[in-house]
Parts: sequence; C-alpha cells; structure tokens
Amino acid sequence: MTEKKILIVDDDQHLLLGLTARLKAKGYRVICAADAISAIALARKEVPDLVILDLGLPAGDGFRVLERMRALADLVATPVIVLSARDPADNKKRALDAGAVAFFQKPPDNHEFLRAIRHALGETIALSTFLKT
Amino acid sequence: MTSEAPRRVDASEYLPPTTPILSPWDSGLLHETGNMEVSATLRAKLLDFNAWSEILTTYGRTMRVAVALTDSQGQVLGKCHNAQPVWRLVHDTARRWGSGCPFCITTHVPCTAVADALQTGGVAMVRDQAGLTHVAVPLLLGKLPFGAIIAGQVFDRYPEPLLLRRVAKEFGVSAQRLWELAREQRPISNAILQASGDLLCALGHAFLRQRYGAILEAKLAETNGRFRLLVEGVRDHALFTMDPTGRVTSWNGGAERLLGYLEAEIMGQNFSCIFTREDIQNRIPEKQLHKALETGRAEDEGWRVRGNRKQFWASVNITVFDTAGLARGFAIIVQDVTERRKIATVLEEARQERECLQEKLLSHVSHELRTPLTAIYLFTTNLLDGVLGDLTPEQHEHLTFALDNVKQLKSMVSDLLDITRVEAHKLTVEPQHLSLGKLIDDVFSTCRTNAAVKNISLRSNIAPGLPFTWADPARVRQILINLIDNGIKFAPASGTVTVEVRPSAESEGFLSLSVSDTGCGISPENREIVFDRLSQVRSTADASRSGLGLGLFISRELVSRHGGRIWVESELGHGSTFYFTLPVFSLAKLCAHVFSVPNLEAGCVTLIAVDVAAVEGAVQADIQLEIRRVLERCIRPGQDVLLPSMSDTEPVETFFMVASTDTKGFEIIASRIVRELQTFDSASKLMPVISATTMLVAPGRPGEEQRGEIAARLEQLVQAHLLGKERLK
Repeated sequence: MTEKKILIVDDDQHLLLGLTARLKAKGYRVICAADAISAIALARKEVPDLVILDLGLPAGDGFRVLERMRALADLVATPVIVLSARDPADNKKRALDAGAVAFFQKPPDNHEFLRAIRHALGETIALSTFLKT
Repeated sequence: MTSEAPRRVDASEYLPPTTPILSPWDSGLLHETGNMEVSATLRAKLLDFNAWSEILTTYGRTMRVAVALTDSQGQVLGKCHNAQPVWRLVHDTARRWGSGCPFCITTHVPCTAVADALQTGGVAMVRDQAGLTHVAVPLLLGKLPFGAIIAGQVFDRYPEPLLLRRVAKEFGVSAQRLWELAREQRPISNAILQASGDLLCALGHAFLRQRYGAILEAKLAETNGRFRLLVEGVRDHALFTMDPTGRVTSWNGGAERLLGYLEAEIMGQNFSCIFTREDIQNRIPEKQLHKALETGRAEDEGWRVRGNRKQFWASVNITVFDTAGLARGFAIIVQDVTERRKIATVLEEARQERECLQEKLLSHVSHELRTPLTAIYLFTTNLLDGVLGDLTPEQHEHLTFALDNVKQLKSMVSDLLDITRVEAHKLTVEPQHLSLGKLIDDVFSTCRTNAAVKNISLRSNIAPGLPFTWADPARVRQILINLIDNGIKFAPASGTVTVEVRPSAESEGFLSLSVSDTGCGISPENREIVFDRLSQVRSTADASRSGLGLGLFISRELVSRHGGRIWVESELGHGSTFYFTLPVFSLAKLCAHVFSVPNLEAGCVTLIAVDVAAVEGAVQADIQLEIRRVLERCIRPGQDVLLPSMSDTEPVETFFMVASTDTKGFEIIASRIVRELQTFDSASKLMPVISATTMLVAPGRPGEEQRGEIAARLEQLVQAHLLGKERLK
C-alpha cells in the first residue's frame, strides 16, 4: 500500500514543520507550500490525496486556492480540510460551501484533526481497516 | 368730674350710602392679574401720602374739618387741619402722633373710631366728650382694610349757607338735602359731616380705584413691555401664536429670521406653509394640532421649510393656551436644530466606528494569537507523543505542564473571540438533545488535572431519572469548566468542588445545575458584579490570579442564549454556589410545528425510523454524524423534524424523523433517503432500512393537550422500536 500524500498550505513555517513531523510519524508523505500560487503549482504537479489549507495566505487567500482546485480536472475530487485561525462563525460555512470537507480552527485538537484526515482520505470508511483494529 | 365715654353712633343713625362702596377688587381690575398677593410694596404705594394729600386737603378745606390718613394698624401717617393744610408724612411725626384718633380731645378713654372702622370694615362715627363728631372710613383691599381716613370737627361751628352750597357744588350732593340736614340737626356741622361721610367714603374709594388702576396698569405695561422685549429679543427661536384653525395671530423677530416670512405677510396665513409638501399631503399639520388639542401640547422633530424653500431640521413645541380673557389658540416654538442633529449623527457614527474598531481589534488579536499558539501546541504534543523519540519522565512532566498552559491560553483566546461575538450579537448556541450525566463526567476528566494540583476533590450529585436537556453540549461544557475552574481557583487546598443537577424548583421545564466550592465566598457587593465584563473579585486570601475575568460574563450570555438564568449564592468564609438553569428537552416542543394545524392537512403524523447498517458491520460514530447531515437534507424544513438520538447511551444507528405525511408522502421521503445515502458514499455500502408508523391526528383540536398526547405516543413508539432492535441483536 502506497503512502498517502498530503499537501499542507500555510504561510507559517513553524506550523508546517510541526504538522509535517506529526503526519510523517503517522505514516503519511507530506509536501508543503507557503503561498497560494505555489500551492496550486505543487498540487498540479504532485496531485496529493489531501490538502490541508490555511485561509490567510500570501498571493491570494485559501478560498482562491479552493476555487482553482475545483476548476482543475485532476484536483476537483481532492478533499480539502481548512485549518485557519479565522472565526468559524464567519468562515466555516463559506469554506464547506466552497468544497472543503471540514473546517478546523487553530489550534486543532490533535485527535479530532487526525480523525478528520483519515476520514477524508477514505481510511475510516474502509471497513476492513475498522474490523482489524 | 365724671368722664363721659365717647358715644358711639348707632348704626341706624348713620345712613349708608345708596351706592355700595366699591373696592378695586369689585371693579374687576384684579381679575386680569388673578389672585395677586397684596404685597407690602403695593400697600405702601396705595397709602402714598403725597398722592392722598391733594384730595384730602381739598376735602378738609371745603368741609372745614381736619383729615388724617392711617395705616391698617391705626398709625397716623399724616394729617391736616383746615387752618393749616400742610401734609407731612414723616416718621418722626408719625411716631409723635401715635395711633388712634388724632383729633380727639378725649385723652383718658381713647376714641375708637379708627379701630372700629379697621375692625369692621365699615364706616364708624364717634362723638367725643366735647360733642364733636369724628368719622372714620376704612380703605379696603378686597375685604381687608389696609388703612383708614378719618375726618373730624375741630371746633363746633355752624356752616354758612355759602359753605353748604360749595360742598354741594364740589361733591355733587344735593344742596337741599344738606340744608334739610342742617336744620334738623344740632349742631348742624355734625349733620353735614355725617352726610359728607358718604362723600368721603366714595371719594376715598374712587381715588383708591384710580390709584390702584394706575399702579396695576403701570405694572401690566411693564410686564407686557418686558415680555415683548423678551419675545422680540429671542432670535434663535421662532415664537408665534395661532388661532384654533391654525392661522397665525402673532409672529416674533426670531420667526421672521428663522422661517423667512415677514410678520406682515404671514399674519392670518395657515402655518402649514412651513411644512414639507409631503407632510402637507400626509396631513401632518392637522394631525399635530389635533394631538396638541387632545393632550395640551405636542412635540416634534422633523424637516420644516423656510420662506426660501430651504429645509432645516426643526424641533417644534406646540402648546395650547386656553386662559380666561384670551382667545383659545396655540403657541408654537420652533428651533433650528440642524447642527445639533448633524453633531448627533456624527457622534453616533463615531461610536459605531469605535465599536467596529474594537471588535476588529479583538478579533484580530484573537486571530494573531492563534498562529503562534498552534505552533507551540504542535511542537509540545509532538514531543509528548514521542514523535521525536522517547522522553525522560521529568521531560514528559515538564512538557505536560507546558501543554496545560497552552490549553489555558487557548481557552482565553476563545473567550476573547466570544466577547467580540457577544458585542456583535453573533454568539450562537446550537441546542441538541443532551444527557448531562455523561457531559459532567467528561468535564470532570478535563478539570481533574487542575484539581489535582491543589488536591481538590470533584464531586457530582445528579438526581436520578432526570430528563434530557435541550442545550449546546460544547457551550454547557464551556460554562461548567469555567465554573469548576473558578471553584478550584477559590477553594483552599484539599477542598471540594461539587456539581449538582436537579429539576429547577423555581421554573418548570428547566433543570438547575449548581457548582459549589468550599472557598472564601463572595461578599454581597461583589455578588452583584461578578457577572460583569472584566470583573475579577480581588481577594486577599489568594494572590494568584489567572484568566481574563471574562468567564462569568460569557457564561451569563451563554445561559441566557439557552433561555436560562445564572446566579450566585454565597456567604463570606463559607464558600459560594453558582446556579444556572437549562431547558428540559421536550419532544412536544420540538415537534410543535409538525402538529400545528396548517401542517396537518393529511390528518396524520408519521414517525419514520431509519436504521443504517454497513454491509459488514457497525457504522462508525463519525460517519453517523455525516448520515445525520444527509438525513437533515431529506426532511422538509419547517414541516418535518429529525429527532435527536433518543438513547442515553452510545450513539445508535437508528435515526428518527417526524413528518406530517401520509403513506404516499412517506414513500417519497424513503426513496429520497435511500438515494441520498447511496450518493453520500457508495464505498461504505450503507444499508438503510426504513420503517414508518403513522398516527392519525384528530382534526380540530390541535391544542397543547393533543401535542402532549402525540409526543407521548411518539416517545413510546421510539422506545418500542429501540427495544425490538435490541432483542434482534
């Protein structure tokens, strides 16, 4: 079974470092982008299985990234989890409507966040996995 | 020698004047001024000796009698003898003369003429020991004498016919009458004096009236003048009067300047010309006058129009005047408050801007704090979870402390955000069917770390058989954690914090939750303010303080959003107990709109049970949440209800919805659910089994009673369904 590839888009280098370490420890391949343009470029090149996306980004915000991804054939079905410091009251619905599968406010609870990642990657739905554990 | 007391003349001896004596009050003069107080100044003016001197001198000379003027106490203010007609009003002389009759030769028994006149308010006549007559005439203000005139014979002398004629001529009394009197009476001068008493009386009061009138007029003129000056001097206000139909009857300078019409052009015109065209069409002028007539006054702020058609924002005050003597009408004051309005608008804008800025700032701070907080959280948890290798027990302990602090910081940042939501009225709760027992256990496991530091024991006391509550679990958690953390903070080491839940004694349909500690307590004055924003009660016992002091403020907001209330009971030194109430879950309340008449056209309510199972096993909890969302999309909002999970234990795989539909409607819903669940995720191979139980609802009595019945019936069905499923397993 090949490693699932996760793209993390965030302009905070420390977050990228910390989250990468955590996800790698869970057995994922992680690639990172720090702004909207390189995020799209990297996503098109690498075609990740999941994108973890910040909303406040240099060179266009997270909503722009979501929009572009939904317009690209090979990224249209890629699940996106939004991880932002913004107020969910104003942004959660907007993000979900734009095609994100989940919205987490920073800092996220590690367990819930990981569960959402696994769910988005279709891992929890695989009943065989469930039955094994 | 025996002294003879002054003889009093019988009332019958004195012929009262044919015309009654008029006081100024009878003349109607006083009505204009209302009940004017007779002031000392007015008395002094009326008794002004110089004013009296001419008339009294004339009288005295003519009648050949001595005349004197006294005040209300009988003090002689001045006198004149016929021989020496020089009138003085000097304090010295007044004192020398003293009180009483100045002409009496009776010394040891005082003459009572003046006193009688002042007391009775009528004319008094006395004959002294020498047989000379004195007449005293009171000067009346209303019914009270304020002074008297006294006339007395100086020596007994027969009047000459010439004198009689002169008297008759000067005072218009019939000479025949005087002559007759002179012949009938001896000494004849008495008769003349007596007759002239009438004259004196009439004369005095005529003079008084004239004098009073003059004083009054001067006063009125002065007041009027002052008023006119005042009205004319008011430049900032338009002051004008109108008759009852709204036609202008007076117009001041301020009105000319402010409203732009000259007095000459506006007099007699209707005041509606100062209104906007729109207001005139809406009959606002008439409505305002009508309102003023009804309530006595009317106030208004709005656009008015000047003569040059320019508009200004006016403050208008209409008063009805309805005083006797003046025609009924309106007095209007108009003020240009355009500037004031501008300032108010600017101030309001500034206030809103400031509030907006404050909200933005708080929101920004909360946002900016989250980014570094996330990094700290990630690195700490990475280390703790062994992502970078194993830790020594001491390293692990220290990092756990770090993580606790991060969590505390996180909740403070959340509080900040909540505050901005409260200010912006954006703080929302999403209530659901909730069992408090489980939630409290969960909260305790979170608070235990904190409690352990001070060796505080957490206890819960939950009454058995409590109903579900209808509340937002995350918010109730937040309130409880906040109250428990407070309790831990204030309780002494090895103390206790107790959470209790029981049905509310005060309000039916609510559960009462309480968090009590064994801490220092809260003083009565602080009890009032603990729920206020940024209040943190200082206590000398505990110097360490943490948190922003926003917790109780946010808790109060959250409780009130749930429809409950929060309060504290405490005694200094005996700990404090915070109480709050949450509404009890009511199926009838939740389904009320399904049972309402317009929805009940089919006459039946259907309970739809959706059992979802995966092909090879149970459905996981996080997928259940997704299924719930899918089902939510299948109901007709406003008509159907997706029931919360009705089991107190673990989430179940049966979902219930209540719809007001018949068999056909049920089939549509069922096929929609199957389709939606399949599109949701075909990989999971979810197998929905859908069943329905329809209850017929008697039409025409959809009251509370029926709602309760149907709700109870629904609950039974749900329980039966769950029980049956349990048996199948």
